[in-house]
Amino acid sequence: MSSDNKLEVEPSIITRELNAPRQLVFDAWTQVEHLQNWMFPQKGFTCEYVSADITPGGSSLHKLTAPGGHQMWLLTKYEAVNPPVSLVFRQYMSNEAGDILPNPQMPDWPKEMRATIELEALGDKTRLRLIWQPIAPTQAEAAAFEASRSQHGNGWGAGLDQLTRYLETL
Amino acid sequence: MPMARTRTTFDPFNAIAEPKRRALIEALAGRELSVNEIAQRMGWNQPMVSKHLGVLKQVGLVTDRKEGRYRVYKVNAVQLKLIQEWVIQFEQYWTNSLDHLEEYLNAIQSDEVKDEQ
Repeated sequence: MSSDNKLEVEPSIITRELNAPRQLVFDAWTQVEHLQNWMFPQKGFTCEYVSADITPGGSSLHKLTAPGGHQMWLLTKYEAVNPPVSLVFRQYMSNEAGDILPNPQMPDWPKEMRATIELEALGDKTRLRLIWQPIAPTQAEAAAFEASRSQHGNGWGAGLDQLTRYLETL
Repeated sequence: MPMARTRTTFDPFNAIAEPKRRALIEALAGRELSVNEIAQRMGWNQPMVSKHLGVLKQVGLVTDRKEGRYRVYKVNAVQLKLIQEWVIQFEQYWTNSLDHLEEYLNAIQSDEVKDEQ
């Protein structure tokens, strides 16, 4: 098995049409006072940005707190910030100091993932495309990403609702 | 006991990607069950239950202990929580976050309309 081969991995793409002008959508992705109101993965979570330098080469650190009190920290490194059309960043699980956490539990999960947000103006609406792709994955990482893809849209979201509720009681 | 290496890498993520194993974890959430009890609840045969339990045990998502003549199984919540974090970080994370973005944008714009009135 060669790891020198450049692996092509199809990105995951989520498209949404939003009832808001493009500049506002872009602001919602790049201004802390907006981000804190929506950048959380589940209802009941709170989101707090402790630092934010949303510029090319800059980074932000935010804390997600689950209803049960469990906390997660996420570090975001921004690669490109092109108002009001696109935003490119990498996001990592981190600790509260912003140190990226190694992932011993998931050895094959891609270590580097790039997200690209593309905004297209449709009159006073906006079409958003979120493109999510591993960067230079090893063969094993590409396989893990592909394995997760087969579950897109069905399994993870719905199937884990009950689990999530259970975990919150622990 | 040493286990033969299979060709498939069973990391926890792959282990729970299989819908039957997710169902099994949900059945075990918050309670201990024997293979027999699981088979009855799920309507599966015992070999199927044992096969999936074996995979989940191998990646540490399920633990077992002996109780009398039986072996009972339960979810390893610590390991499961770690997986949940990764799942949250991935697909569900973005799908749900975009839902919240949409709701938020709708909310602040209807506030603006109110402010102007």
